[in-house]
Amino acid sequence: MDSAAFPVAVAPAAPARTAARTGAWLVLLGTAVTTVGVSWDIQWHVEVGPDSFFTLPHLLLYLGSALSGLASLTMVLLATSAQRAGRPWPRSAGGPPVRVLGGAFHAPLGYLVAGAGAASFLLYGLMDLWWHSIYGFDAVLDTPSHVALFLSICVTMVGGVVAFAAGGDQGWARAGILVGVPILILFAPTPFNALDGLPPAVNPTAVGSVLCAPTLLLMGALLLRRGGALGIALVLGAMQALLWWFSPWAAKAYAAAVGLPLREGLVPRAPQLPASVPVLLVAAALVIEAGWWLRGRAGGTTTPLLLAVGAVSGIVVGASLSLQLDLASPARHLPVAQVAAPVLLGIPLGLLAGYLGPRLAAMLRTPIAREEY
Amino acid sequence: MPALRPLRLLVTALVATLLALTTVTPAVAYAPVGIVHTEQVQAGPYAVTVGFSTWPMRAMRSLDITFMPSGGTAGKSGIVGVGVPGMRGGQQLVSRLARHPRKRDTWGLDTKAFDKSGSYSFRFVIDGPQGRGEGVLRDLTVLDQPGPPLPLSWTLACLPLLGLVALVAVAWRRTRPGRPDRLAALLHG
Repeated sequence: MDSAAFPVAVAPAAPARTAARTGAWLVLLGTAVTTVGVSWDIQWHVEVGPDSFFTLPHLLLYLGSALSGLASLTMVLLATSAQRAGRPWPRSAGGPPVRVLGGAFHAPLGYLVAGAGAASFLLYGLMDLWWHSIYGFDAVLDTPSHVALFLSICVTMVGGVVAFAAGGDQGWARAGILVGVPILILFAPTPFNALDGLPPAVNPTAVGSVLCAPTLLLMGALLLRRGGALGIALVLGAMQALLWWFSPWAAKAYAAAVGLPLREGLVPRAPQLPASVPVLLVAAALVIEAGWWLRGRAGGTTTPLLLAVGAVSGIVVGASLSLQLDLASPARHLPVAQVAAPVLLGIPLGLLAGYLGPRLAAMLRTPIAREEY
Repeated sequence: MPALRPLRLLVTALVATLLALTTVTPAVAYAPVGIVHTEQVQAGPYAVTVGFSTWPMRAMRSLDITFMPSGGTAGKSGIVGVGVPGMRGGQQLVSRLARHPRKRDTWGLDTKAFDKSGSYSFRFVIDGPQGRGEGVLRDLTVLDQPGPPLPLSWTLACLPLLGLVALVAVAWRRTRPGRPDRLAALLHG
């Protein structure tokens, strides 16, 4: 990438550089902990059942949000303190500055977004408590309070990606994108459970995955350039494999530790959260890498290429999910329409991904013109 | 270094949070299943007592439902079909009768919620020492959902999504990411 086209920042001073790395990685660690907690919690309800607020999976997912929130708050305070003391705070340490509360705080955009997500998670945690007081302990994902919690987690994850993207081509920033984007791809379809029960009768998280996975893969690939798509897909595959093993194991181990039996009559099926990740995303990544290679060899206009790789990626992701849904269904096999739906949706949603993904990457790489520090 | 003081605060806060969370004993205090209402149904030779943890039932409010055949569950097996209002041709959601996770001496459904109000039914097919028996418990009324109207709850729930959309909209307006030179520069990197 031409650094003149996407100037990132002045070279950060040493303390700010350390803070930038530490803060971004802590936000990312928090989102990873939350993701593991959510996957474990879902599996717990599937395999064991009883619920209370004080379960280990719940504690894990709240701990993750607390970690991200505290890290974000600390970074905002650091940036504000530096600004008040007249020290420069580089854009690469969290993104462009945003004046908050009339200039009382100067918040780097990435940490402002991540912190807002964590604060929102806390508030919606209270809403969830209120919801359960009215409706009981409904162990389902598609209640308003649960969907709000999932959306809040996504906001925190987006903030983390913004913070890493601000680091430009520095090694730590690229590594953060390589881990942060797969976490977002893994988790972003979860709020789509809100669409459960709405016509047409397609799997709501599959719809979310067909839209989000190609969009975010393209975005990440353009932030990292050559090899980026493949790297993201491989890291995501490793996360999927880890959760695939961990979630059922942790549910069983925790049940044994607290002396609870597994549910009777369980039908063997894939763990829910990791099974919703398209296993063939690596094929979509190869399509994207091939697109870049062709563009380098033969040239051509940019927009049609981006739309084309988006559409093909959408179809590949859709086909992957169709296959997975069919194999994972205890009914063996699903109706044809239900299996075909993700593939058909892959065309329009893939085109949309080809439009949105590159523009999101361009946004993350473009500095705001107005300097506010 | 003064600028790093908040980092020390962060580490302290994290350690405190970790300690607070990890020293909480994983709660074993799962709420017991309290039955406040029962109905009786005869499934062939077996009398089945159906217990409800809340009564009357309301749409979307989860409850525990237990099924206790006369003489206990030992040596017996079967299925239960839930007749849902509006389902075509009297179709039912059928599941195997399994022990309730928190009341292991009975069969049951834990934290079960019915989405819609209306008249439901439970159809039992039980195999046991006295042969097979079938029976239906009809006219189980589920009242309207409690709490605020769903559109209001969903509107509140969607606020983080609206925030994200607003963020993207503002960033889009400021950065003009669709300009051909921006997109081409991303690819040329």
